[in-house]
Amino acid sequence: MADSKTDPTIKDFEAAIAELEGIVKKLEEGDLALEKSLELYERGVQLSRFCHSRLEEAERRIEIVNERGELKPAPASLRLPDDEDES
Amino acid sequence: MSRLPFDEPKVPKVPKVPKVPEVPEVPVAEVLRAVAPARTILTVSELNATIRDLLENELQNVWVEGEISNARVWNTGHMYFTLKDGASQIKAVMFRSAVRYLKFKPEDGLKVVARGKISVYDPKGEYQILCEHMEPKGLGSLQQAFEQLKKKLAAEGLFDPARKRPLPALPRRIGLVTSIDGAALRDMVRVLRRRYPNAHLVISATRVQGEGAGREVAHAIRKVARIEAVDVIIVARGGGSLEDLWAFNEEVLARAIVASPVPVISGVGHETDFTICDFVADLRAPTPSAAAELVVGRKDEFFKNIDRISGRLDAAIHHRVRRMETRLHVLESRPGYAGFEGRIAVRGRHVSELAGALRQRISQGFARRARRHELLRRSLDQFDPRHRLAAVRTRLVSRDGQLTAAVRRRLSVAGTRLGTLAARIDGLSPLAVLGRGYSVTWDASRTRIIRDASTLTPGDGVSVTLERGTFDATVTKTGS
Repeated sequence: MADSKTDPTIKDFEAAIAELEGIVKKLEEGDLALEKSLELYERGVQLSRFCHSRLEEAERRIEIVNERGELKPAPASLRLPDDEDES
Repeated sequence: MSRLPFDEPKVPKVPKVPKVPEVPEVPVAEVLRAVAPARTILTVSELNATIRDLLENELQNVWVEGEISNARVWNTGHMYFTLKDGASQIKAVMFRSAVRYLKFKPEDGLKVVARGKISVYDPKGEYQILCEHMEPKGLGSLQQAFEQLKKKLAAEGLFDPARKRPLPALPRRIGLVTSIDGAALRDMVRVLRRRYPNAHLVISATRVQGEGAGREVAHAIRKVARIEAVDVIIVARGGGSLEDLWAFNEEVLARAIVASPVPVISGVGHETDFTICDFVADLRAPTPSAAAELVVGRKDEFFKNIDRISGRLDAAIHHRVRRMETRLHVLESRPGYAGFEGRIAVRGRHVSELAGALRQRISQGFARRARRHELLRRSLDQFDPRHRLAAVRTRLVSRDGQLTAAVRRRLSVAGTRLGTLAARIDGLSPLAVLGRGYSVTWDASRTRIIRDASTLTPGDGVSVTLERGTFDATVTKTGS
């Protein structure tokens, strides 16, 4: 997981999804050499892992920017009622 | 402006003047009498000063309605123009301090209602109205301003669909530009928590109404856009009157949205409210909650989607591998591969055994029948040989026919199976497989296919068949 997060060959979530879809299409349609197929499959697995980790990596957090452009925790009033709302 | 219109209805308000019937002159004379002892001769300056005092005292707060013409703003920021109706006109000026509060741009041809006072410019003996406030007649001034700015920004191409940026599918952080204590913020946080529980929200708080709010919202946008990993910004405010929403119609805010490095979603007011902010944003949502719905997909749907694609990925590779295995099996069945010959031999043996068995049965059948025939013949010979012999012969012939048909059927089935097998093999060219990068390695005499590296030793010669051509090689090293 850790290496897929920082993988320099994957730009972002969208790029990963798009590439993954392209790979699936190629594998489904193309009469590729076995070696190439396996290569694509490995890349696909890597992309899929990256997407999974991206979906989980964002932290549940609310912050507020102050005048100096620094991030501070948002007032508790904004967080608590909301957290209770969720069922 | 050489003739001062003092014969206007204002004149009676001048302090009472005794009529001088023997001097039926122009009304100027009357005025002179009113403010100075009779027959006092004034200088022009004194006259104009007197006129100024009169007008400026009497006309300190007038409302006038007319059409703007010859409007121009000097570089001092003051605006000079003429107000006119069908028959008359008056010079007008509006100082910068008043101009900056205008919610619309005064343009030639625009009908306005202006409030101001009359001011006289002594050196030229001219007067004008000094406007302190002005609003378009007809449309409310806010509405007017809205239409004007909309037209201006549209002309710059800022509303072009081509300029709209796509939203990121999965923003790392979401910037929220709104009032810290508004319902809009609460609504958005609730929606975002529901859809994407681990969303990272960054609030850039700002006033959203009142004088200068547009500038503050613009500042808040720039501030949050600078935060690292903020991939999208929502600018939001709950519903309100046109005045309440005014900040979102200000040019400074529109410019900040255009300059934002990341896409901006506008969620201002209610469904029916349209603001400049809506037009210039990359995406317009009817309400703050709707903006929150648009900014990020449901987390569970993201997962479902990725799992679906991953499932297809697995299925595709498995299919690919299975097909390859099938091809390998077929390849093994080719002539030249030991396996094939064995298999064909098995089939050949099977067919020949079947045929042999049948032949044996047939002959056994004949033998049996022959024996029975012999027995019968003997017994018949003993009793009534001719009739009985004839009957038995008929039955025998019939039985033979049945037997032959059965044998033919079974032979034909076996033959068909053999034919099918041959056809299948002929339909599969080895080149199709070699074309995918496979090669066949033979021993140097090309009589045996090398399947096991351990059967080779360095120095052995081998011959390799590729899709196109063959080559000979010498083994330098083997491995398992």
